[in-house]
Amino acid sequence: MSLATGKAAAASAEQADVIVNYRPAYIAMFCLGVFYVGIRIYEQYFGWKAGLDSFAPEFQTYWLNIMWTELPLEFIAFCGIGGYLWKTRDRDINAVAPREEMRRLLTLVGWLLVYAFTVYWGASYFTEQDGTWHQTVIRDTDFTPSHILEFYLSYPIYIIAGWGAFMYARTRIPMFANRISVAFLLFFAGPFMIFPNVGLNEWGHTFWFMEELFTAPLHWGFVFFGWFALAVFGVVLQVLGRVIELSKEFESDVLAL
Amino acid sequence: MSITTEAGAPAGKAWKSKEEFLGCVILTDWILLFVLFLVLLGSYHIHYMLLAGDWDFWIDFKDRRMWPTVAPIVAMCFAAAAQSFFWTKFRLPFGATVVTLALLVGEWINRYDNFWGWTFFPISLVFPSALIPMAFWLDVVLLLSGSWLVTALLGSMGWGLLFYPSNWPVLAQYHQAAEVDGVLLTLADLIGFNYVRTGTPEYIRMIERGTLRTFGKDVVPVAAFFSGFVSMLVYFLWWQFGKWFARTDYLANDEI
Amino acid sequence: MKLSIGETLAKFLGARSVRALALGLAAAVAATTLPAATPASAHGERSQQAFLRMRTLNWYDVKWSKTEVNVNEDMELTGKVHVFSGWPQAVAKPEQAFLNVGEPGPVFVRKASFVSGIPTPRTFSLEIGQDYEYKIVLRARRQGRYHVHVQINVKDGGPIVGPGQWISIKGDMANFTNPVTLLDGSTVDLETLGIKWTMTYHFLWMAAAAFWVIYWFMQKGIIARGWQVAAGKANDIITPADKRFGGLWLAGSMLALLIFYAHANNEFPRTLPMQAGLLTGIDPMHEGPVTVISNYGGGSYKVRGRELTIKLKITNNGTEPLKIGEFTTAGLRFLNPDVFTTRPDFPEYLLADRGLSVNDPTPIAPGETKDVVVTVQDARFDIERLSDLAYDTDSQFGGLLFLFSPTGKRVKLEIGGPVIPRFQAGASL
Repeated sequence: MSLATGKAAAASAEQADVIVNYRPAYIAMFCLGVFYVGIRIYEQYFGWKAGLDSFAPEFQTYWLNIMWTELPLEFIAFCGIGGYLWKTRDRDINAVAPREEMRRLLTLVGWLLVYAFTVYWGASYFTEQDGTWHQTVIRDTDFTPSHILEFYLSYPIYIIAGWGAFMYARTRIPMFANRISVAFLLFFAGPFMIFPNVGLNEWGHTFWFMEELFTAPLHWGFVFFGWFALAVFGVVLQVLGRVIELSKEFESDVLAL
Repeated sequence: MSITTEAGAPAGKAWKSKEEFLGCVILTDWILLFVLFLVLLGSYHIHYMLLAGDWDFWIDFKDRRMWPTVAPIVAMCFAAAAQSFFWTKFRLPFGATVVTLALLVGEWINRYDNFWGWTFFPISLVFPSALIPMAFWLDVVLLLSGSWLVTALLGSMGWGLLFYPSNWPVLAQYHQAAEVDGVLLTLADLIGFNYVRTGTPEYIRMIERGTLRTFGKDVVPVAAFFSGFVSMLVYFLWWQFGKWFARTDYLANDEI
Repeated sequence: MKLSIGETLAKFLGARSVRALALGLAAAVAATTLPAATPASAHGERSQQAFLRMRTLNWYDVKWSKTEVNVNEDMELTGKVHVFSGWPQAVAKPEQAFLNVGEPGPVFVRKASFVSGIPTPRTFSLEIGQDYEYKIVLRARRQGRYHVHVQINVKDGGPIVGPGQWISIKGDMANFTNPVTLLDGSTVDLETLGIKWTMTYHFLWMAAAAFWVIYWFMQKGIIARGWQVAAGKANDIITPADKRFGGLWLAGSMLALLIFYAHANNEFPRTLPMQAGLLTGIDPMHEGPVTVISNYGGGSYKVRGRELTIKLKITNNGTEPLKIGEFTTAGLRFLNPDVFTTRPDFPEYLLADRGLSVNDPTPIAPGETKDVVVTVQDARFDIERLSDLAYDTDSQFGGLLFLFSPTGKRVKLEIGGPVIPRFQAGASL
């Protein structure tokens, strides 16, 4: 082995032993951010141009085609991420060394960051822009431009991100693999349940065809499931608890702060 | 010092050095702050917009009776839950403020980028309710008293009472009156009338229509006291919700 | 210091990527906030069930005073509306209604609106079976070409959209002003009034909130505090100095709020609550005595031929002979070319200028009662999706029939009733 190769190998080993690397999370957030800004620009143009009348041919071209494309892709992404994480799971989960466990805990924090980012876009940005659209124009279909980007794009994306975080923890971190964290289950499943609640929303709107009153009881199902995102509290505490357990050697330093 | 995993298997250290540990803690602290901020933003925003959103969206919904009653009560839920978490688990006296700031950040991005940038409504029609002074009140009451009971009683009443004064500095200008074709309208009414909302007719407004007689023109204090009172009850409930969601228990794999 | 090629490249790429990112973000912000709206088409009325569009509000004599305007220029949208007697059970009665405009955002601002001459900035009641005249004064705000409809919203019934017309607005929204005279005689521009102050006020508080959060966060972060609490040291974390700071912070905040509040009261000493409540006293149009009576004798709708056939028994008690000239429903106008020799000015997508025919073209003489079969046929039935009448849960049509005398007098008849769908080709009434 040459000296240069040896140095490279040492550097590589050093790199491999990095305890925390949030860069993949930053990159994921950057890509998602660019994507969301892109579709928002698309919406700016084609909402007005092709999105007001669901029976117009251009609506089919510019909007329904997006929906028919995004839904299968989301399903594939959901299955793909879950499948990959399961397939590559740690099959000897109880033999994980503390350093590796810590690394995985911190990677999970990165996953949670991406999930939180997608929750912002779905629950805040695209949900209120739905109000912008429906209170401005007449809602004439279940699949309005804002719904195609809100319910059928931004919601599935945060569900996929939450699913990824959940599955990462289930397949790689002993405390989440050996048992099921109630908080994590709520954190993932509650916001997930907002998506099926879309069915109630569309059922009501289709039959009543009323103006869009945002505080109408028809919408309260979204609120109820939205509350479950508060289970992030429990997940953070569980991660923190384990970090403390694995870092006991520094307890006196921390308590002295 | 060696550490064992839960299963009691391999020993070893998680950290190479104290510097590595501290560096990671500082970085991860920021990440956690962002995680909590963004999740609370999304969750609180969907809660608030679907329970009090119409009053919050439009200037011509911001009345003296319904808005100061509904908005603080609805807003109190997440303020209480966040205080419960940040105070009991971290002794951080910013629960109400951080969650309220998160909501307002989400709202302002939307009002500017979508209500103005996409559908061209002037900001004067669509600015959100101001909530930060109430959050300061709630957080400092908890900080000084250290008691969620005191905060529920004193903090929540202040929360309700402070809502209208917190908003009046910007609202007052829109409650100047004008006569339009022989009809008396406030500027808030007129903005709503001028800037056409095809999907939001006038009758949809859930605002005071003059049925509260007992106190003459002093409608707001009555609404504010009532709101403060209900906010107390909501605070108790949502403090517990916050605790409930901060659970760290597990189920066995075969339990689901 | 000499940099390696790699480092130089990295630096260069770094600077370039930062510049590209900044440029991209600027472009994104500009693209999401500034671009002109592209043309819009219909406003969703085509998804409403046919019976709902035909049997609620019948629009007629709709006129747009201009189809080209400049920013800040006014135009009028006027017309009449008949509230159909056979109002469908599925739609709430128009006891609370609002005269609205179907447009893609406030590209026009509504400066005034009137029903029967009464200003209607608020909700009003309509009576079933009556007719109302309306006028909406619109001021152009945003440049572009837009489809502008008259519309009446009915509480618990939804928006009922009338005919729409393409209107071009020239100029620049940046020049738009919306002056309003207040009760005290001063004038304000409602387009910009108070926006800067509103944003300043909000962002000041939000900045203060961010400071409060960061102040506490920077002390020990989250993890260390959580650890200390978990170790049972919760009660040692908050110091008297912390409490003093909190107390001062609150005092400062409340003082600031008091100043803002007092300043607002001082600057705007006379404020009123928002105005609400149902507008009453709106009379329907006063029409002359009824001189023509019709009885509906059944009808059918040929789905393939897009043809509505109606049997009517019409009695003319007037003094002049009358010819059936027009049938209008859901904003569509079907004209009898025997009567309309020139094409009226009306949006093309709603005007079937040869869409109506009568089996007996001779006029109905004064005092005569005549059985006629009116055929209404045009592809616009399909385009406007009124063909779906055949699939509705309440297969009844409705509309207005206009008869004309040789002197140009117009008589309006409300007609409507159940129709039988005919799906096969060649089926007859």
